[in-house]
Amino acid sequence: MTSSNKSIIEVNNLVTHYGDRQILKDINFSVEKGEIRVIMGGSGSGKSTLLNHMLALLTPTSGSIVIDDVDVVNANRKTLLKLRQKMGVAFQGGALFSSMTVGENIKLPLQHHTQLDEHTIDIMTRLKLELMNLAGFEDLMPSELSGGMLKRAGLARAVIMDPKLLFFDEPSAGLDPVTAVELDELILKLRDAMNMTIIVVTHELESAFKIADKITVLFDGEIVITGTVDEIKNSEDIRIQNMINRRARDEHLDADEYIKRLTTGKN
Amino acid sequence: MTFVQKTHLHYQLLALTGEVDLHNSPQVRKQLLDIVKSGNSVIVDFSALTYIDSSGIATLVEAYNLAKNKQLSLTIVGARGAPLQVMELTHLNKVFPMIDSLDEIKG
Amino acid sequence: MLTVIKNKIEHLGDVGINLVESSGRLGVFLFNILARLWMYRFPLEETIKQVLFIGAKTVPLILISGLFTGMVIALQFYDTLIRFGSVDLLGAAVAMSLIRELGPVMAALMVIARVGSATCAEIGIMRNEQQFDALDCMAIDSYHYVMLPRLLAAIVSVPLLTAMFDTFGIGGGYIVGVLIHGVSDGAFLVGMADTIVWNDVWMGIVKSFLFGLVIMWICLAKGFYLHIEQKQSGAVGVSQATTQAVVLSAVLMLFVDYIVSSLML
Repeated sequence: MTSSNKSIIEVNNLVTHYGDRQILKDINFSVEKGEIRVIMGGSGSGKSTLLNHMLALLTPTSGSIVIDDVDVVNANRKTLLKLRQKMGVAFQGGALFSSMTVGENIKLPLQHHTQLDEHTIDIMTRLKLELMNLAGFEDLMPSELSGGMLKRAGLARAVIMDPKLLFFDEPSAGLDPVTAVELDELILKLRDAMNMTIIVVTHELESAFKIADKITVLFDGEIVITGTVDEIKNSEDIRIQNMINRRARDEHLDADEYIKRLTTGKN
Repeated sequence: MTFVQKTHLHYQLLALTGEVDLHNSPQVRKQLLDIVKSGNSVIVDFSALTYIDSSGIATLVEAYNLAKNKQLSLTIVGARGAPLQVMELTHLNKVFPMIDSLDEIKG
Repeated sequence: MLTVIKNKIEHLGDVGINLVESSGRLGVFLFNILARLWMYRFPLEETIKQVLFIGAKTVPLILISGLFTGMVIALQFYDTLIRFGSVDLLGAAVAMSLIRELGPVMAALMVIARVGSATCAEIGIMRNEQQFDALDCMAIDSYHYVMLPRLLAAIVSVPLLTAMFDTFGIGGGYIVGVLIHGVSDGAFLVGMADTIVWNDVWMGIVKSFLFGLVIMWICLAKGFYLHIEQKQSGAVGVSQATTQAVVLSAVLMLFVDYIVSSLML
C-alpha cells in the first residue's frame, strides 16, 4: 500500500452496482487522522452509496476500503465488530428506536459493549445531551422530539463511546439556519477536543465551506475533485462552478418541441 | 494507564499517568470513590495525563458530587492538552477547581 | 404476436425466480434468528417484554372471539344433534372442535390480525428509518436483539392464548347449550371429559406452537426485507408488506394446520 501512515481511511478503485446499474466508477481517495472531510455531490452522484459502503452496510463489486488498518470488505465478524465500536454514525433522521426513551437510546452502545457502572453510564449520557443542547430531554420518547432534536439525539448516540471516526449523513438537512450553524460549530469542537476524524456527507455549501479541511466532490459516481475549500472555489470545472454559484443546468430549448410537449403531452 | 496515590498535606493526591478510557476508568472510579468515602478531600493530578474520555470525566463528576455532599473537595491540578480541551468542551473547567501547580495549595 | 407470448413467458419466469428468491430469503432469515440461540446469551428480558406486548395485550381479543366462537359452534351443533336426539354429546362436540381445530386456527387468526400486522409494520418502519443500519453500525446484532425475542415470545404466547380461547369457547358453548337451550349441565361437562383424550390436547398444543412460529417468522421477515421486496418505499411499502405478511402467514398457517392434522389424527 502506498498510503502515508497518517491515512485513517483509504478507498481504492471502488466500483459498486445496484442490480445491473453501476453507481460508483473507480473511486479513489484517502482521509487523514483528525481531518474533517466533506463529501459533496448532487442527488444521484453516489455519495450516499459511498457512505454506506464505507460503513460496511453494502459490499462493493470491486475495490478496497481500509479503515484504521482494517480491510472493511473482507474483515471477519469479530474484527468488524471491534472497528465498529470505534466508529460513530449519525443518520439522517436520527434513526432512534421508538420503543425507548432518548436517554435509553443514547446509552445503548455503552450497555452492550462495556462493563461500566450504571452511574458512569448515566453521567456520560447526560454529558452528551448537554453537549447537544438537549439537557433534560433524556426521559422523553423520540416521538416527542422535533426533527432537529432527533438529529442531535442521534449525534449524541453516535459519539457516546468517544469514537475515533464519526460519519455524518446530511447533518443540515431539514434544520433551521441557526441550528445548522450550531451543529457546524459542534462538529468543529468535537474534532478539536476529541481528535475525531469526521466524514460529512452533505449538499449544503455553506456548512461544507465552514467546516471542511478538504472536500471531495462526486458527480455521476466519479470523483471530480478532492481539495481544500480554496481549491474548490478556484476550480475551473464547469460542474463545480455551477454547484458553487447555484446555477441551474444549462438546457438547450427547442421551441417547437417545447410547444409540442406543452400542448400534447407527448415527447 | 497507571495511578499513584499519596498524601499531600491533608489531601489525598491521585496522580494519573497515560490515558483514561472505557477500559480502565472503572479502576480510577473505585480508587476515587474509596478516597472520598473514607473522608478525604482529593487532588487529581493531570500533569502526566495525555487523554481522558467521557467515562473518565463521568467518574470525576461522580466523585466530585460525592465529595461535595460530604463537605469535601475535589481539585484538579496540571490539566493541559487534550484533557484540558475536554474539560472546556464539557464546561467542567468552570465547575471543578482547577489549579496549575500544587504550590497553590496552602496548608 | 410472438413478442406478446415471449413477454408473458418472461414475466412468468420472473415470477418464478422471485418466488424461489423470496423463499430462500425467508429460510435463511429463520435460520439466522434460530442460530442466535446458541451464538449469544438467551434474551430473557427482551423476550418477557415482548410476551407482554404480544401475549398480554391480545388477551381481551382472544376472550371475546373465543366466547363468540364457542357460542356459535354450540348453536350449530345443537341444531344438528337435536335432530338425532344426541344433544348430550354437545359438550364433547364443542370441546373437540375447539381443542383440535378451531381453537388453534381462530386464535392464530386473531394473533395475525392484532400482532402480525402491527409487528410487520413496526419492523418495516424500523427498516425505513435506517434503524437496522444503525444497529449494524453500533455492532448490535439485529437478529439477536430485535427478532429472536419476538419469535420466542410468539412461541410462548400463542399456545397460551389458544388455551384461553378454548376455555372461553367452551364457556360460551356452555352458556348457549346449558343455560339457553337447557342441555343437562352434567351431560355437557361429563361428555366433554369422557371424550377428550391427551392426543387431542397435544395436537392443539403442537399446532399453536407452530402457528406462533410461522406467524411471527413471516411478519418479521416481510418487514425486515421491505427495502428489497417492495416496489415502493416509505409508507406505501409498509402497508404493502403488512398486507402480504397477513395473507401469507394466514395461508401458511392453514397449510401447517392440514399437515399437522393429517400427521396426528
